[in-house]
Amino acid sequence: MDNISIEATDRSPKVDFDFEKGAFLLEGESYPENVSEFYGPVIEALSGYLEGLKDSGGTVEFNFKLIYFNSSSAKVMMGLFDSLDETAEAGVGVTINWFFEDDDDNMEELGEEFGEDLEYAKFNMKPVSA
Amino acid sequence: MLAKQMFEFRNYLQDEGIMFCYSGYMTEDILSGIGDAIKKKLSMDSADKATVRGVFSIFVEQVQNVIRYSAERETHDERTELSYGVLTVGKTGDHFFVSCGNAVESKDANRLKEQLEMIQSLDREGLKILYKETLRGETPEGSKGAGVGFIDIARRARQGFDFDFIETEGARAFFTMKAYI
Repeated sequence: MDNISIEATDRSPKVDFDFEKGAFLLEGESYPENVSEFYGPVIEALSGYLEGLKDSGGTVEFNFKLIYFNSSSAKVMMGLFDSLDETAEAGVGVTINWFFEDDDDNMEELGEEFGEDLEYAKFNMKPVSA
Repeated sequence: MLAKQMFEFRNYLQDEGIMFCYSGYMTEDILSGIGDAIKKKLSMDSADKATVRGVFSIFVEQVQNVIRYSAERETHDERTELSYGVLTVGKTGDHFFVSCGNAVESKDANRLKEQLEMIQSLDREGLKILYKETLRGETPEGSKGAGVGFIDIARRARQGFDFDFIETEGARAFFTMKAYI
């Protein structure tokens, strides 16, 4: 599967999906004009990859380094967390890292809220000094 | 006369504590431009980062609501559609506010009113539960659900929010929401 690399803009995050290494990154701000247009293709590629990985004993690391995302992007994040947890349930070693600036209570709270529903994936909160 | 009129208009806005005001067709580019100016102005006024982030997020949600749901819109072709709305950002006392107004169909006004009243009745924990249910698209049956944007605004508006409707011509209502940070 071809890796995905999209540069960040003012309104959309950097996307770096390395399927070979199982390393995934979303970094920056996320309030694109059309959320499904931006995320649709990358999420589809990721879902296909995660599906193929089940029962393979592989590992996946997903790094969220988001500064801000709007409510439509939040739906995408929630969907990502849910499918990563399903992948972990199927025997894949999944680690999710949630990076946030240490003075940003809101991003910290959102990370905790998304993370608390995970049953199988390993979840780490990663404060970064602002 | 010309300057007097505009000067009086500016004075009215200033008296209301309004720092930013836009009335007209809203686009995503306008959202980016004004959003950027808001961040700069608030940072210059040395508002703390949490406040700047709160004002900015609520501004984004309100403008995107107008862009998506204003009943007053002009369609050029499939890709080009403009929505009309009014936006103000300002400060009263110690608190910032973001306020948006736009036309809605009368038939939608009641549903919107019920949603917002329901959101207002929830405490922080209740808002969190509703937020997550709504993100997963699993709002319980019978509870009509609510736009996730409004729930997000309610969670970030640390000083609460008000809303109001008035009937206007042509089976429409004018909807306003004002959120305090």
